[in-house]
Amino acid sequence: MNAPNLLSDRPVFVVGIGLHRYQRRSDATYVSLGLTAVREALGDAGIEWTDVEAAYTGTALLGMGASRIMLSRLGATGIPMTQVENASASGSSSVAQACLEVASGRSDVVVALGVDKPRGGLGAAPGEAGIDNLEGGSVVPFTHFALLASEYMNLHEVTDDQVAKVAVKNHRNGSQNPFAQRQKVRTLEEVLTEPISGSLTRLQCCPVGEGAAAVIIVSEDGINRLQIDRSRAIQVVASATKTEGLYGEGVGIDAALTAETGVAAFEEAGLGPLDLDVLEVHDAFAIEELLYAEALGLCQPGEAASRIESGDFDIGGSCAFSPSGGLLAMGHPIGPTGVGQIAEVVRQLRGEAGTRQQPDARVGMAHMVGIGAVCVVHILRQP
Amino acid sequence: MTTEPRHPHLLKMTDPPTIVGHRCVACERVAFPPDPYGCEKCGSPASTFEQWDLQARGSVQAVATVHRHHRSTPVTPFTVGVIGLVGGPVVKAIVEGDGVVVGSTVEGFLAPDEQDDDGNVIVDLHFRVVE
Repeated sequence: MNAPNLLSDRPVFVVGIGLHRYQRRSDATYVSLGLTAVREALGDAGIEWTDVEAAYTGTALLGMGASRIMLSRLGATGIPMTQVENASASGSSSVAQACLEVASGRSDVVVALGVDKPRGGLGAAPGEAGIDNLEGGSVVPFTHFALLASEYMNLHEVTDDQVAKVAVKNHRNGSQNPFAQRQKVRTLEEVLTEPISGSLTRLQCCPVGEGAAAVIIVSEDGINRLQIDRSRAIQVVASATKTEGLYGEGVGIDAALTAETGVAAFEEAGLGPLDLDVLEVHDAFAIEELLYAEALGLCQPGEAASRIESGDFDIGGSCAFSPSGGLLAMGHPIGPTGVGQIAEVVRQLRGEAGTRQQPDARVGMAHMVGIGAVCVVHILRQP
Repeated sequence: MTTEPRHPHLLKMTDPPTIVGHRCVACERVAFPPDPYGCEKCGSPASTFEQWDLQARGSVQAVATVHRHHRSTPVTPFTVGVIGLVGGPVVKAIVEGDGVVVGSTVEGFLAPDEQDDDGNVIVDLHFRVVE
């Protein structure tokens, strides 16, 4: 069955963005984190909470029933609130649901929120599925990606230094982002210290802290009715979600899943990888940026490391990768991460990113993967 | 006192050990670990699977030495490999000894890991380089 292109039939726009800085776990409640982001997003859009018709909250760690006790403090308007859990892509999926709600015509104004606070563990369900394996607990996520790094570096003769330069770039970008958890410029020598697993060092692994991000998704009717500033509205032209298929033994599932989801998103948008000016990518571990640059078609297999070394993926290059600092520097508080990516892409496409502005940015992508495995990709553009 | 594999349904204590996977009779997909639910390729229920023995021997496709770990065992540093078994499936397991690189041929052996409350020795399948 060919799905209708709802985003084309009834266009949707992001008109407001708001964030609470990503940071180490603190005494702040998730309610205060979330409200900070939503209030900022409403102010950015120039609308009132009473204008909002539905809310989606992306969170993976908070537990059930997180939305109302938080959002009712903006006024208990009785709107539908739905909590969305999709592992690391929870926030991305809250955006996807908000887009679908507006594109379907059910609502004109919807908030997509991501909020989380770290707990003792991730509590991931696959570990409770009753399917044992040989590695026991010896392969945690950073070792999974260290093994992918080993395979990639051996296949393409890429060095430790080349992979580490992803982190140097993203820490540099994060140093200019007031919402980033890590805001320090790091040298290659600093990045290469403190080994964690394989070639991955501490600064090549994302911090998992707390934070919040919110975006306001509206229809054309919503823009007109609420007299929202059209010049700052950014259109969502693709929203694609896929889960892991069977790719054959030895094939990196994360890159294969990203490739499939990217193709679906580009088809929906009627765009291609070379149209991207900005890409917020799931760089939880430095090696991922290389894998996904190639999987999404921004360069040929084996080329990504040299493209990063050449500065092609810097701010000011052909496509700015993770200008926010990405998961490596901005951080990965889980629920907020995918929403924060959308906020950064919107900021870039509005031309409001200040010192980390990608010149002439017109088209941007946000890409997340999560345990399961799931992948969610959005493409946004200036209308 | 006895010697028991941590997960008896995954291993036979032969010499060298045998890895136990499954084969879907409907689509012939061979997979590891053995799945109690159904076939990811064709959707057949697990009741139609047959047990499928896999030789604990293969080639290293990727390797990483782990320096930081959230548990006290395995003791760091330890090395994990992605091993393409000669029978098809790919497994991840600890690889012991020096000289393991991508392309190394490795073979499984039973490595004592801990003793339970009754003094029984619990063993895990590890691999080591044989060529």
